[in-house]
Amino acid sequence: MIEIMNLKTSLGSFTLEIEHLKVEKGEYFVILGPSGVGKTILINVIAGIIVPERGRIYVDGKDITRFPPEKRNIAIVPQDYALFPHMNVYENIAYGLRLRKLPEKIIRKKVLELAKSLEIEKILNRKPSSLSGGEKQRVAMARALAVDPKVILLDEPLASLDPKLRMRARNLIKKLHDRLKFTAIHVTHNIVDAVVLSKRIGYMEEGKLVFIGTVDDFIETKYAMPYINEIEEVVKRIK
Amino acid sequence: MHMSRLSRSEPFLIVTFGVLSFFILILLIPIASIFLFFKPSIAEKVFMGQELAGEVRDALITTLEASLISTLILTVLGIPSAYYLARKEFRGKSAIEGFLDVPLAVPHTVAGIMVLTGFGRRGLLGPLTATIGLRICDSFWGIVAAMLFVSSPLMIDTVKAGFYSINPMLEAVSRSLGASAMDTFFKITLPLAWKSIVAGVILSWARALSEVGSILVVAYFPKTINILILEFLNEFGLPYAVALAVPYLLLTLALFIVLRFFVGQRFSLY
Repeated sequence: MIEIMNLKTSLGSFTLEIEHLKVEKGEYFVILGPSGVGKTILINVIAGIIVPERGRIYVDGKDITRFPPEKRNIAIVPQDYALFPHMNVYENIAYGLRLRKLPEKIIRKKVLELAKSLEIEKILNRKPSSLSGGEKQRVAMARALAVDPKVILLDEPLASLDPKLRMRARNLIKKLHDRLKFTAIHVTHNIVDAVVLSKRIGYMEEGKLVFIGTVDDFIETKYAMPYINEIEEVVKRIK
Repeated sequence: MHMSRLSRSEPFLIVTFGVLSFFILILLIPIASIFLFFKPSIAEKVFMGQELAGEVRDALITTLEASLISTLILTVLGIPSAYYLARKEFRGKSAIEGFLDVPLAVPHTVAGIMVLTGFGRRGLLGPLTATIGLRICDSFWGIVAAMLFVSSPLMIDTVKAGFYSINPMLEAVSRSLGASAMDTFFKITLPLAWKSIVAGVILSWARALSEVGSILVVAYFPKTINILILEFLNEFGLPYAVALAVPYLLLTLALFIVLRFFVGQRFSLY
């Protein structure tokens, strides 16, 4: 469970202000919003990369606001995936586990397990520079999930994929979440991500979370207007 | 690169090609001619003869030792300094960066005077260097200090550029996976900046090996190879200076080629 209260961060002329956000344990929460509204900044604040001016972040009831990133156990899948270029896929996924000084046997088991569920077991020896966008995205997911984080933050994880691949990747994330029940905050400008992946969503505008609620409720608000066509498209496809 | 093939007959390109050829010629003439003036019989006297060989060997060892020590010190000081500058924004940063580049702009004799006024016997920190037994004027450590002073910007700037080129998100992800800032530096940043660090080492070492102006001022003795070349030129004439210069040139070139080759092989994998 993660709870954010009265959070404020200014970067230049931009201000991020989140009054209250609570994501339950095992929930997949999507924050929707156009680009430039501060979604990435929010992710960075939660991960501890940016220290907020005020406010509190609690994870499972513990105040982690002033914790450095490595003490939070919050993993991140950045927009460009940021795979370590000097390590192969296996080493990327094993990175966090090796830091925890686990026996290599256990690390190996965990990496292979994740690789299987994310369908990347055949590319474990490859370097990130030789991977396709979809493969990179799955490796970044595996690397984040490997450390059993309390929360996993996903910053537009599907944005750089073409539409067909995007749908496959989205379904894979959904399947994975149904099975592993990790707690996730996923920011995106794509309404379909929100509709498919989460029951409850947030909507961000100019540094503020202006809506939190179910997808059905969201569709009734004025914020949903620009997305109506896309939503109808999805509903049609589901039917 | 079929673009360049298409426009090969472009008049402007032909002009730039002409200029490039001229440029290469200007550089090639002195580089090639030094070998034409090289006389093996004189070189034999210089490197094997009883009169000169000892002095030459000592100067060569002094030069290599001093330049390696100055480069080593610079590497140890330069990597953390460059990292801080590349990763941190603070007030007055550009002033500090400008200050660190000062040795590039200072005439080398003046740089030598600066080393003396700073660390020499009568210099600002003279009493301190004297108490720890560190002699600067006409001493090995004076040579090291002069080399360090003139080559420091090359190390800092090259390594800093390397750190700048690394996506900061890689470091952020490493932290979020449980690595401390120091772990992240050694596991992610350093391996990725390795090429730039080696480039910084090569450049500052090359700079140290070629330094003569400030060394003339700070420490004529113990003689370094560049000073000996000057001395040979003044005392025995051009053939003797060439006889000493050519092997020194080949030695340094070989060192750099080997290093570059090593770097290219080992670290061009990604």
